Amino acid sequence: MTNTSTINAASTADRGPPAWTRWLDLGDRALAVVLLAPAAILLALIIVYPVLRLGYTSFFSLSLTSGLPAEFVGLENYSLMLDDPVFWETTWNTVLITLITVPGALLVGLALALLANLPFGVQWPVRLSLLIPWALPLSFAGLIFAWFFHSEYGVVNDVLMRLGFEGIIWFNSPNWAFAAICLTIIWKTSSFMALIILAGLQTIPRSLYEAADVDGAGRIRQFFEITLPLLKPSIVVALIFRTITALQTFDIPYMMTGGGPGTSTATLAMYIHQNTVSFLDLGYGSALAVVMFALSMCVTAVYLRAIRTKE
Amino acid sequence: MNIRFMAAALAAASMLGSITPAFADTELKIFVSSQHQPDVWRKVLDKYEAANPGVKIAIETGGNTSEAQAQYLNTVMSAKDSNLDILMLDVIRPAQYAAAGWTSDFEGKDMSVYLPAYAEANTVDGKIVALPAFADAMFLYYRKDLLDKYGIAPPKTWEELAAATKKIADGEKNPELQGLSFQGKAIEGAVCTFLLPYWSQGKTLVENGKLTFDHDAAVNSLKLWKGFVDDGVAKKNIAEVATDDTRKEFQAGSAAFAVNWSYAWTHFQGAESAVAGKVGVTRLPALGGGEQASCLGGWEWGVSAYSTHQDEAKKLVEYLSGEDVSVFMAANGSLLPSYAGAYKNEEVLKAVPWFADALQVVETAKARPVTPRYNEVSEVIRTTVNAVLAGVTTPEDGASQIEARLKRILR
Repeated sequence: MTNTSTINAASTADRGPPAWTRWLDLGDRALAVVLLAPAAILLALIIVYPVLRLGYTSFFSLSLTSGLPAEFVGLENYSLMLDDPVFWETTWNTVLITLITVPGALLVGLALALLANLPFGVQWPVRLSLLIPWALPLSFAGLIFAWFFHSEYGVVNDVLMRLGFEGIIWFNSPNWAFAAICLTIIWKTSSFMALIILAGLQTIPRSLYEAADVDGAGRIRQFFEITLPLLKPSIVVALIFRTITALQTFDIPYMMTGGGPGTSTATLAMYIHQNTVSFLDLGYGSALAVVMFALSMCVTAVYLRAIRTKE
Repeated sequence: MNIRFMAAALAAASMLGSITPAFADTELKIFVSSQHQPDVWRKVLDKYEAANPGVKIAIETGGNTSEAQAQYLNTVMSAKDSNLDILMLDVIRPAQYAAAGWTSDFEGKDMSVYLPAYAEANTVDGKIVALPAFADAMFLYYRKDLLDKYGIAPPKTWEELAAATKKIADGEKNPELQGLSFQGKAIEGAVCTFLLPYWSQGKTLVENGKLTFDHDAAVNSLKLWKGFVDDGVAKKNIAEVATDDTRKEFQAGSAAFAVNWSYAWTHFQGAESAVAGKVGVTRLPALGGGEQASCLGGWEWGVSAYSTHQDEAKKLVEYLSGEDVSVFMAANGSLLPSYAGAYKNEEVLKAVPWFADALQVVETAKARPVTPRYNEVSEVIRTTVNAVLAGVTTPEDGASQIEARLKRILR
């Protein structure tokens, strides 16, 4: 800090700064405000305002199909939700998807990261294959896997039948459809976990393992005593991101099953989309979205607290 | 003299067109559903462009099902986007568009020129929301060659149809050949799937905006379809089948019977069809003892209330919903005309001979419930049909769920 300011002072002493830079001569605090303001205004416009607006709309009966103007109804949208079996079903599906795919993606991602961290001669093919599922748009992944699991044309059933098993009509049964969706989500998201964990792995100094070797610790012991504890911060960061996106799961089940059979694989995000975009019931849709927002905030708070106690 | 006069008038009109500022370089964007021959509509639009210099028309398509298209248009229209001038709307949507105020009124238009069902479907609370693009109804397509081979007459009841598929399956011994293909996926077509046997029992679903749900009739309807899956009349994964899948399966020769709309005919007779020349069309069967019922379809042209070219767009819609275009689309795209007279047109009957008998079907076809909240009604019915066909819900529970959820929507 002091270094740069003396250099600035020295270089500007002979020529003097152009007049327009004068407004930059602010105190640290004022400078911070000026520099942060654009980002803060942008965030306020695209996040804070819509969220507040959403909360506001959720207290109104506002449906574009009614032909009526918005009417304040207090908590009626929320009390409707309590009686709405589809709300409970989609919320439960969302929680279940989160509970299955987040740990699933963590385990697969960890394994992939350890694999990618092995001292291969050529590393780019491994890293590239890690990047591709992550770079693929979610809806593409959903479409591709919908074909994989198709009961007549799908490669999964083809393999099953070649192995002597009977083909499964995946999307005809809630359980199989759910399994297919979870497998797809784990495939799609574990590479993101792996990328973050891989970055963490590379910060662990090699000397620690060398010292452990000298002390006679085996590979497994090294993993649990050195690798895992030092990876914890990266794992927590990966988990926060993954859990929040899992709570918002939409694209993959939307493309694979459309929520079917019946509504047995529909998620809360899909139900919000249906109420707002298809039914044009903006009041009820907003109330549902507020619930999802609250759910995400709770999970984030839990994780943040977990990190803070660690520190 | 006539030709010369017309040529002169045309030249004068085109000159007038090119110097009148209102018509100069107007670009109209028109939304056409991708499953209804946008390429044939393009030819109609080319003719219009040639006769109206200064007007350019661009077709936009998007989504491959009625729901996907409705979702897309819902986003565009609720954002009050002026990008689209003319929208092709499914016959079930005018009530919603009227409630939302998304289309411009065709004030003073004489609707009596159209088939009564479409004059009615496009008039909501005395306002003319849209004009008919084409009519439609569901039909039973059958393999004429197979029925002849086994000496079977086209079935009049669903029971006869089931017996016919057994006879064909026993004779053909072809595991790739299904008996009947219909729509079991949770899409708009599944609403008609439910209603066909329901209506056949003489029951109605909604009358004057009030729910008139008949529980037993609903159970019978769901039982019929589930029975078809269990007895092998339809394939086990029928819950995955959408409207165009039915069309493709029948076209590939892998179904003896199919329930579908009129558009399928052109595909069945096309170069890529395995069944060209072997296809018969008839009225949909009845549920034992009931009447034969079909589902009224059809699409309409609406002018977006947010379009900045109201007059030009309305003029184009008047043309598109005219009798000449109706005849052209029937002959070239096998879309059913919305004019009674067009069903006797020679050009049409040469291309699609069975249209001669189709008028009666369209005239007696029943309309799905008319309500601005139709999307919700549809969602309840189609997800339940899908769940019953997948075996997740029993027909009894399915009927109760439909009733309970429709009561909430249509209270």
